[in-house]
Amino acid sequence: MIFFQYLVNGLILGGLYACIATGFSLVWGVLSIINILHGSFIVLGAYIGIFSYTMLGIHPFVSVITAGIVLGALGYVVQLGIINRVVAQSVLVTLILTFGLELMMNNAMLVAFTADYRKVILEKSLGVLEIGNVFIAMDRAVATVIAFVLIFLLWLLMRLTSIGRAIVAVRFDREAASLMGIDVKKTYAITFALGGAMAGAAGSLMSVSFPISPLSGPLFLSKAFVICILGGVGSVPGAALGGLIFGMLESFGAVFFGAEYALTLAFIVLIILLLVRPHGLLGVKGF
Amino acid sequence: MFDIKAAGAAVASAILIACSMGQAAHAADKVYRIGAPLPLTGGLSPEGLRMKSGYDLWAEKQNAAGGIKAGNDSYKVEIIYSDYQSNTPRAVQSAELMITENKVDALFAPFGSGATKAVSAVSEKYGVPMIAAQAASAQVYDQGFKYLFGMYTPNDTVVKPLVDLVLKSDPSIKRVAVLSRNDLFPLAIAEEFLKYAKAKGFEIVSDQKYPIGTVDFSSALTQIRASKPDWIYTTGYTNDNILIRKQMQEQGVKTRLIAMLIGPTTPEFIANTGKLAENVVTASWWDVAAKFKGDDVFGSAEGFEKAFRAQNDNRYPDYSVASAAACGVVLALAVNKAGTVEKPKVRDQIAALDAHTFYGHIKFGPTGQIESLKPPTMQIQNGQPTVVDPVEIKQADIRFEPK
Repeated sequence: MIFFQYLVNGLILGGLYACIATGFSLVWGVLSIINILHGSFIVLGAYIGIFSYTMLGIHPFVSVITAGIVLGALGYVVQLGIINRVVAQSVLVTLILTFGLELMMNNAMLVAFTADYRKVILEKSLGVLEIGNVFIAMDRAVATVIAFVLIFLLWLLMRLTSIGRAIVAVRFDREAASLMGIDVKKTYAITFALGGAMAGAAGSLMSVSFPISPLSGPLFLSKAFVICILGGVGSVPGAALGGLIFGMLESFGAVFFGAEYALTLAFIVLIILLLVRPHGLLGVKGF
Repeated sequence: MFDIKAAGAAVASAILIACSMGQAAHAADKVYRIGAPLPLTGGLSPEGLRMKSGYDLWAEKQNAAGGIKAGNDSYKVEIIYSDYQSNTPRAVQSAELMITENKVDALFAPFGSGATKAVSAVSEKYGVPMIAAQAASAQVYDQGFKYLFGMYTPNDTVVKPLVDLVLKSDPSIKRVAVLSRNDLFPLAIAEEFLKYAKAKGFEIVSDQKYPIGTVDFSSALTQIRASKPDWIYTTGYTNDNILIRKQMQEQGVKTRLIAMLIGPTTPEFIANTGKLAENVVTASWWDVAAKFKGDDVFGSAEGFEKAFRAQNDNRYPDYSVASAAACGVVLALAVNKAGTVEKPKVRDQIAALDAHTFYGHIKFGPTGQIESLKPPTMQIQNGQPTVVDPVEIKQADIRFEPK
């Protein structure tokens, strides 16, 4: 019976992880940018969730929309105004640029919000559902469901809309896409905006379960990084699958090796995967 | 018009500068500088800010009382802070800068055993007395250092009384689960606890460690739930324990007694966990209920409580702020006895100190760690930190959750 509890824990955690990683994976796959800012975007999304609830009484699940829009807009502006200037250069240049922006954003958040950990304390929590001997924290479970819905919507957007196809086209071949009349710079900015929107939404969902401080970004970023490689860079379903696997590894890893080795186990799996399947589980050339 | 204004401003600022220079010259040759690297931001900021409030309160009181007296001179206290952002290597750099650039006369150690141990290498190298408000692990003090002193008694002194109390109060409690942060102090406490609890006949049904920075404890707590413990003992810092307590509820973990080190007596813990704080026990190194009397600037434990509440929105002063303020008291007493601010002489006086203060009887052992205190055990009852042990100062009996 306890096996099911670990399974549920892993699934719930995995959904949130998937949501964290999808936007990161998209930006990496399409723009070839390892966006270090992604962690800070998640944190800012979480703050939007927290302050919307404490100041306006808006539930963080609703703030997913505002956090998504705000961070999406921020992503668009940052990409168009700053990153686009160096986007064609080597990965290292954009990496350092986003790293610098991350430092600035983290310090700005430190000044604005202080380093204290904050978390949404819901007045009306959904409580804990007990099925047999399996306990499900419902607030977390609902957050996970929303996370998967968001990932599914993103996947639909990539497959069914002209913007989505443009992003895929740019990823395949930038020059060819440009020749076909696609505005590459704008497509880049939209991709970055989508990445930001997913980060913001994930942040708002996280604010219900996990405490946030301005310096929490690297924690989320490191997980996004692993998930992204597990699932395959640039693949939306890959990120979803990678997130679930990562959640399960943490959950079951803690059982067999102890909680302190759960992350070590995830990284060992990552190294093995890099050796035998370097493009990730679902790392294909399309979406 | 512009010229007149400018000239007026110049004259006014010249007068101001002249006045302030006069004052500065008067105070500058008699300033006692103390360096205090603190985690004012980052994961340990609740702890760092509490330490700062203790230091500030002492400095203010000491200065109001005419500063620190050394022979015929009086020294104004000046504490130089730096924020090491909960990042230990940065604490070491800060301390070295404070010694070489700011020429501090003494140091207040950073937060925790790990960071204190790291910084102690620097203070020892330069021969600067350093007093640690928050480092209890024996591993910090067994390095043979001469300039390091600690205000907390060794870990076993906070572990044993609680085990003995539980054994005495409810013999039906047998099965114990331990969850500890993989960090110097929390791990040392857990090891001490495991050793003593086993020796006293408790059965350890789960023993787990979690890495620094963990925010999801569901797996560990599921395992604990499956082991059906009567008593759960967790170690970590305030933010860790807040999370663990909340997630225990989410994971349906039920037990007769929850002990958490450290944090339950802090306002952050009580405010963030609400009703879940009820009946959580913890060990601490000091409580106002001990009613210590002393010859320092606070006069007594109650005097300290009053001064602290007046300055901090009527917050309850827990042992961590008391210990921080007591570092200042120790330094003032030692400088006073030495009659000079020379570092080696001040160091010798700290080592030889035998004084009664608001913090209790202060006497350091051969390793530099205080050995004269008897730490109280606390439980949150009706939302208030309540002393349940030792008998001499207890305010209520320990409570257990019903079977």
